[in-house]
Amino acid sequence: MSDTSLEADLTRSANGRIAKERLYHGLLFCCAALTVFVTVSIVATLAIDALEFFGRVDPYAFFTGTEWVLRGDNPILGILPLLSATLVVTIVSALVAIPIGTAAAVYLSEYASDRMRSVLKPALEILAGIPTVVYGFFALVYLTPWLQGLGLEVSLFNLLSASIMVGIMIIPMVSSISEDAMSAVPDSLRQAGYGLGATKFEVSTKIVIPASISGIFSSYILALSRAIGETMIVVVAGGSRARMFNPSEPFANLLNSGQTMTAAMVQAVTTDLAGGTDGYYSMFAIGLTLFAITFSMNLLSNRIAARYREEYQ
Amino acid sequence: MATTDEPTDSWFGADGQVSQLRGVLFKAGCLGATLLALFLVFVFLVYVAVDAIEPGTADPAWWATVVATVAVPGATLAIYYYRFDPRAGEVAYTALGLPVAATLLAGGVGIVFRHIVSPYEWLALVVAALVAYGALEAHERVRRAGAFERAAVAVVVLALTIVGLPGLVPSLRGMILSLPVLPTASLSLLGTFVAPIALAAGWYVRRVRESERAGLIAGGATFAAAALGVAAEPIAGVSWTTWIILTTVIGVPVGLYVEGVLRRGEGISGLALPVVLAAGAVVCAVVVETAGFTGPDVWLDWEFLTTAHNRTPREAGIYPALVGSVMMIIVVAVAAFPVGVGAAIYLEEYAPNEGLLGSFVELIEVNIANLAGVPSVVYGLLGLALFVKSGGLQPGIVIVGGLTVALLILPIVIVSAQEAIRAVPDSQREAAYGMGATRWQTVRSVVLPRAMPGIMTGTILALGRAIGETAPLLMVGVAAVVRISPDSFYGLFNAMPRQLYSWAQLAKPDFYHGVLAAGVLVLLVVLLMMNGTAILLRNKYQRSD
Repeated sequence: MSDTSLEADLTRSANGRIAKERLYHGLLFCCAALTVFVTVSIVATLAIDALEFFGRVDPYAFFTGTEWVLRGDNPILGILPLLSATLVVTIVSALVAIPIGTAAAVYLSEYASDRMRSVLKPALEILAGIPTVVYGFFALVYLTPWLQGLGLEVSLFNLLSASIMVGIMIIPMVSSISEDAMSAVPDSLRQAGYGLGATKFEVSTKIVIPASISGIFSSYILALSRAIGETMIVVVAGGSRARMFNPSEPFANLLNSGQTMTAAMVQAVTTDLAGGTDGYYSMFAIGLTLFAITFSMNLLSNRIAARYREEYQ
Repeated sequence: MATTDEPTDSWFGADGQVSQLRGVLFKAGCLGATLLALFLVFVFLVYVAVDAIEPGTADPAWWATVVATVAVPGATLAIYYYRFDPRAGEVAYTALGLPVAATLLAGGVGIVFRHIVSPYEWLALVVAALVAYGALEAHERVRRAGAFERAAVAVVVLALTIVGLPGLVPSLRGMILSLPVLPTASLSLLGTFVAPIALAAGWYVRRVRESERAGLIAGGATFAAAALGVAAEPIAGVSWTTWIILTTVIGVPVGLYVEGVLRRGEGISGLALPVVLAAGAVVCAVVVETAGFTGPDVWLDWEFLTTAHNRTPREAGIYPALVGSVMMIIVVAVAAFPVGVGAAIYLEEYAPNEGLLGSFVELIEVNIANLAGVPSVVYGLLGLALFVKSGGLQPGIVIVGGLTVALLILPIVIVSAQEAIRAVPDSQREAAYGMGATRWQTVRSVVLPRAMPGIMTGTILALGRAIGETAPLLMVGVAAVVRISPDSFYGLFNAMPRQLYSWAQLAKPDFYHGVLAAGVLVLLVVLLMMNGTAILLRNKYQRSD
């Protein structure tokens, strides 16, 4: 397009204009390329220091060790306790967020009147805007005493209230992406259902949800990836003692304090910032593991979402 | 299958008519789940508010007075608007929210003038920028130079006027600052801060009213109102900086909004709500003062907002963290906004679809989606490695924290700006090209103005996210306690969420249920205001499209 305008250019030298266009083109390209630079430098910084770490600590011991003790001169670094705590938080938060988020999406997309939607949607969006350190505060100061009041023997710092809070935090993510997917289902499909005499319930559960299932799944995966990377809630409310998951008492883990991968990173940096120690470098190894997990989950979610987009265009 | 009980006008999809018990239960369940999430968080918010304000410590008579003078009139008006005049209701809530949002902004501006630039520095900055602009214009008139020469000249001129050559040539800004005779601080702020705002307000009113006179009145009134405070400082007892900021940052937007409502003539009665509430508050204050009712023993008071952290809960405050957050947001906005919008423009307007560059662009697109999903704590590590270890900057200073968080919100800004740019209809671009505009001219004068509200909405939401981010700050070594507010972008700082985290670690009931709750309330008010503004902006422009 810009080439054709040259002939109509009567006021200034054409050279100047081409140069100007090229200048802006180049500048804007640099802005976009910066994002690639960010990704590359994330991978590079994590990889370089993680390599340094694995030079000191045996990778096999790191990935199969069942004990994590950061303090002291001789830290014992095995990632499994952190991984198991992260998994526990992710599963419990998924149990909270997926039913509630999906139901909210169905309501907003299929049942809500315009007026109801105009109130509920912004309200859910505002829920997503609350900082996670505040959610952590809610969990520590209000939710844990509630749970104690219900008769659960939870300690002051525990994974249960942290994971419930993480679940509440990711509800808006599940509901808004799922709702987009459900709203993208063409009306003709619904009308066909009603034409066959289906009820609204049957249309929602047997037509709309199956038709948008890949979008819904992609929202679940994104939300879970968010739960895995969530930091401040588990740091504030989950405590800082790494415990290995004990299969014989599955609920003891929930009721006691535990440390996730992100929480361990925060602990490493706030107690060990001096640098150079194994504990300091362990943070990059955890970071690389975390990045690899969330990155592949996001990629997966994009793939799944891309499939449902193709279906109705 | 279901049968309808009675013939209806709507033949499909109306609830209730073609639903059996199962369907009704399903609908109720879905609604219940939606409300449950909202309700839970609402309950937590009520808890925080109760902890921060401690309503139980107030005299019952005090509460009775508040209810009678503020709550009852306000509620009555709200019910009236809801039942009889929805249009006025909308005006009422905006008229109520706008002063609150403007007050927050005024607080931010006040912090900027107190800690970041003094009135003299501001004067020098504005004059230097004006001189640079003049020099560039002159250069363009005299010489028809190419774009690269113009860009080079711009860099040189800006460097000379604002930065100077360290050790060799003092900058124009520095020379102005070292002048023996400067106008007084109040005059320099009037000339370089109030005057541009007054000009802008006058220009706006002139345009919408299409009347030269109205514009003059608006601009003149703005300037006069601000100048009045400087003259009357000894009498009024309000410092002139506060007065100038109050009149310009709060007075101008509120005035323009009231003017707009009056001009459109719709829902004028909505303006009554803030007036009634304000009058009620004054009456309430007078009654409470004369009768001697004691109010609640609030944690979130002026003292809390203006003092630093202290080990004694009652004396702990959030001021340095507030200043730190404001300064960090400035860094974040300056770093993320131009780059993010630039990247979005490139991807939407310039990016090729094929060839080697095309696949690179595809890579960028996939990348941005993935960057948005990288955990914030990993960004903290990136900031630590990039700015502290490689860049040689000190950990825990404003610029490191701001740049790290800017990287974090960059993908969000890009994606929302892309959406806004994509929403500009192609016909407008084609019209511009048809007139012989180049691509950049089309972008600058057709696409960007149309997309700006959308871009702003996305940016405000992203900045809201930036204010609340804690984990990256922990990773780049922001200190747990900073008692002195940072005085430059290279100073050590503390931000509100980081301060909250360090209070959460002090396991004392008074911190948990008092100081922490007050801090959370401050952070939430700022955030809800920002998000609310963004959502209102979006609703407004979506509707008008």
